[in-house]
Amino acid sequence: MIKNIDITEPYTSEVFEKLRAGDRVLLTGRVVVMRDSAQRRLLSLCEGGSNLPLNLKGTVVFYAGPAKEMAGAPIGAIGPTTSARMDKYLKFLYQQGVMATIGKGDRSELVEILNKEYRRVYFVAPSGVAAFLASRVERSEVVAFEDLGPEAIRLIEVHDFPLFVWIDAFGRKYRHP
Amino acid sequence: MRSIRAADLEKKVYRLLKELNLRFNPQVMERLCGSVEGEYHQYFCELFRKNAEIAARASLPLCQDTGFVEFYVEVGRNVVLEEPVFKTLNRAVSNVYMEFPFRYSMVDPPLGPSKNTKDNTPTFVHVELTEGEGVSITAHVKGGGSENLTALWMFLPTASEEEINNAIEDHIRSKGGRSCPPLHVGIGVGGSADTALFMAKRALLRNLGERSPIPFVARWEEKLFFRLNKLKIGVQGFGEGPTVLDVHILTQPRHIAVLPVAVAVDCFLCRVGRVSL
Repeated sequence: MIKNIDITEPYTSEVFEKLRAGDRVLLTGRVVVMRDSAQRRLLSLCEGGSNLPLNLKGTVVFYAGPAKEMAGAPIGAIGPTTSARMDKYLKFLYQQGVMATIGKGDRSELVEILNKEYRRVYFVAPSGVAAFLASRVERSEVVAFEDLGPEAIRLIEVHDFPLFVWIDAFGRKYRHP
Repeated sequence: MRSIRAADLEKKVYRLLKELNLRFNPQVMERLCGSVEGEYHQYFCELFRKNAEIAARASLPLCQDTGFVEFYVEVGRNVVLEEPVFKTLNRAVSNVYMEFPFRYSMVDPPLGPSKNTKDNTPTFVHVELTEGEGVSITAHVKGGGSENLTALWMFLPTASEEEINNAIEDHIRSKGGRSCPPLHVGIGVGGSADTALFMAKRALLRNLGERSPIPFVARWEEKLFFRLNKLKIGVQGFGEGPTVLDVHILTQPRHIAVLPVAVAVDCFLCRVGRVSL
């Protein structure tokens, strides 16, 4: 039986540490959407001693770049992109206080180690169902790097957004029972 | 000779690209969800159906990655095109991606200060002159996550089928979960490095369930289909349901010193379609 857990912001270590690889989560709250280029830019700002354009403490990061939205809709089709491409920025994100990441696909062993060390979680979101996932997003705004188009950093508000725990806060990865 | 108007071609391709992004490929659902293997698989199949329904009703794309578009154009000997086909196809892509809520995913230059081209062009076009009549255009809407799994090996010419199968299996085992399985796997064997890659991509245009007309290739396809499904990566990587939807192999003669093998994969949406004029 799949275990179902509802999580509502604020995101706390207490809640995240109870999750186990394979659990299904319905997430409600704010999520920061950013992917490759935005993370590279954030890291180089940080390394150059500049302030970041947003505070990542206590946030959940979603590796995604939505399609265009229809007039009047909060967001266009949205879904996870391949997380493994961004493994190299994960330590930086955790140091900034990010509580969890969402994407698709397996990741390197480094992620298991970092999750255990920082007690953070990696979720996968279902892929190829972006029209459906858009219906679970209630609000969205670009908060930084607008010039990156679909890769701009967005803050979105999701309601009952379906996720699965792929690597939990103890570094355990999902394995089919 | 028959003259084909650019506007007619453009209109047909525009409609095709709209359909490919909004309509779930009817060849896929039975293979994907025909027999449900477990709770995760069942849940994902419910989502696939809901998603297909919302996409068609609300004109939202099935996937946020509306891809780059690759075209395979076959021009028969009896036709003349009004303008270079690349121009017509770029215009069709630009119009449909600007008018529908699709994503612009193309940036230029490829490195450094890349800027989004803001209409999802350029598109990639392959033209073949054939003995046939009329024009046939196959469009492939290809996401980045599946394109990143493309691989090429230059095997020793003495390599066995087993060595090739092992390389392909290792590749899918280690990376297949990233490209939205169950996957369609295309393989090119022989030719040169570039033609092997091209064959692998073209193998993804074949219909699911169709076998090669060459008996040894057909058996090879079946063998790999069976073997890759035993990897149990499953739907969305959760170990339930199929790992590959099908395997297609194209072959070519080769130089005595050379044995290129290429693999290309497509995600479970298989956004491939054809129009002819």
